[in-house]
Amino acid sequence: MSEATLTISPVENEIKPRTEVNGHDPSMLISMRNIWKTYQMGTESVHALHGVSFDIPRGEYIAIIGPSGSGKSTLMNLIGCLDTPTQGQYWLNGKNVSEMDDDELARIRNQEVGFVFQTFNLLARATALHNVELPLIYGGVSASQRHEMAKQALKAVDLSDRITHKPNELSGGQRQRVAIARALVNHPSILLADEPTGALDSHTSMEIMDLFERLHSEGNTIIVVTHEHDIAARAHRVVSIRDGLIEKDERIR
Amino acid sequence: MIRLAAIWEAFRVATASLRANKLRTALTLMGIVVGVSAVIAVVTIIDGLNQTVAQTFSSQGSTVFTISKNPQIIKSREEFVKFNRRKDVTHEDAEAITRLCTACWRVGIAANAIETVKYANQKAENVRIRGIDPLTMFEIDGRTIDVGRIWTESEGASGREICVIGPDMLKNLFSEAPADKAVGQEIRIDGRPYLVLGVLEPLGSILGFSRDNVVYIPYSTYQKAYGGRRSLVAFIQVPSAEQLEAAEDQVRTIMRNRRHSSGDGDDEGFALETQDVFLNLYGSATSNIYIVTVLVSGVSLIVGAIVVMNIMLVSVTERTKEIGIRKAVGARRKDILTQFLIEAVTVTALGGVIGVGTGFGLAYVISALIGFPLLISAASAALGVGISSLAGILSGMWPAWRAARLDPIEALRAE
Repeated sequence: MSEATLTISPVENEIKPRTEVNGHDPSMLISMRNIWKTYQMGTESVHALHGVSFDIPRGEYIAIIGPSGSGKSTLMNLIGCLDTPTQGQYWLNGKNVSEMDDDELARIRNQEVGFVFQTFNLLARATALHNVELPLIYGGVSASQRHEMAKQALKAVDLSDRITHKPNELSGGQRQRVAIARALVNHPSILLADEPTGALDSHTSMEIMDLFERLHSEGNTIIVVTHEHDIAARAHRVVSIRDGLIEKDERIR
Repeated sequence: MIRLAAIWEAFRVATASLRANKLRTALTLMGIVVGVSAVIAVVTIIDGLNQTVAQTFSSQGSTVFTISKNPQIIKSREEFVKFNRRKDVTHEDAEAITRLCTACWRVGIAANAIETVKYANQKAENVRIRGIDPLTMFEIDGRTIDVGRIWTESEGASGREICVIGPDMLKNLFSEAPADKAVGQEIRIDGRPYLVLGVLEPLGSILGFSRDNVVYIPYSTYQKAYGGRRSLVAFIQVPSAEQLEAAEDQVRTIMRNRRHSSGDGDDEGFALETQDVFLNLYGSATSNIYIVTVLVSGVSLIVGAIVVMNIMLVSVTERTKEIGIRKAVGARRKDILTQFLIEAVTVTALGGVIGVGTGFGLAYVISALIGFPLLISAASAALGVGISSLAGILSGMWPAWRAARLDPIEALRAE
């Protein structure tokens, strides 16, 4: 049931042949088509997103940038499968996630999405190792394998010597690296970072951004949501959001 | 499917959060502990009493039954009137049973009076004076002689003032003197002098009523002192419990013939009873205590469960962020639901275990004070922990459901 069409890629502004299946491009890791998100505020409907469409291929390092109130947080929640669009289609790794229920979304988050938050969002009472194991616990990975994978992930962020430490025994940068290890431990399709350096000093911020660069060079797909231009400048593609629409989508390196 | 790893994680989280809030945990536990320990204590005490009572009655045992004018328990005024119209049970009735009942082993008669007994300047009140015949009545009663002797058959028939005393008499009349000091002394019952021939071995007491506060005298003597026209009780013993039913049938037939009653519908004219009557009465009394206790502790468990529910709701609110994090990394609704249910059950089951412990402790103290054996039953312990766990599930349900339904975005935003 496939039809070959020619579409103009917004990224490269050149005509290239693409195959659309059921209205999306199966070669893309992320494919969003005419996404709307509407919130009901009392009697008023507020449109956070007005029909957003874009694609992200596997292995891309992309920044989504926009001022507060632009709809970028809403877009991030949708990409991260924390929420579903009011209207429109979203394919993630070949799966249409726009119509999934809570538990199906939880499963997708577990398998496909690794979150990195501004405030780290680690479990305060748990050790670094246990924090990193958390997605694997809900993924049904056996205890011994879980242990091994979590240690590997912590090693990948250079925290092998901190695995028994609790978050309050770690510096901000270390906490964010634990969070990154947690995001990567399940080998997700995308690493989705929401203002990952927002709570860090500039030196530590650079360290984290260097780490992202390394992870990208190792083949990870990275999406950074930010309002800081110098953070966005580290990405290879920048999508600017304003008033619920894509204002600009440019490849910068 | 709920994954085992998720359950174990939930249990880890539960115990960690209970440890982190020790005082709150202790207060939460209180209601459950009180409810469970009340149940355990009462169940254990009643089990202990039951065993004591069963053992005590079996010393006379299920091989003995009685024929009397009135049953031991009279349920109504009408019955009282009806039974009083019956003919007295007499020596002749007992003789007929001895003669005709082939399944019977021993037959004896006994009559009781309550009197004040005096020795020198000491006196004992409310002493049971038991007139018996023949001597085998001692054996039917399960009595053995400690010091001295029982009367001979000819002494028994002579109507002389002789007696064998229960050990309580030593305490009450002879200032706890050794038994051989009492033998040969003269005590006064209702003003008449009686020669003490011997002292009985103690049988102990049932529920605080001493069975050793007794003086045995020959039935002929009893007749002389208290008149012959009093109704007496015939005791019939069979060699073993298996013959009991056959003997009862024979005795019933013999007595119906003597009372000229048919047995269908109209009053038989006598009461045939085993010790089961007592046991049944006792059983129904204790089952009432059971029911009341279960109701009272049920209320306390409900209050405890409400406290647990309240604390769980607080806990869900406090840990909204944690729930958001868990959901973000892939916890489904049932994973969160299970986590909080397990936490609630862990609290209440812990309360149950402590309750079982304090319940047994309470029962131990009470049993030591009253003096009966402590029976610790695994079944009641399991019941205590089981009920408290159930309370945990019921009280955890609503908070856990609220936690499970939290929107991950909202939850992550919480502080």
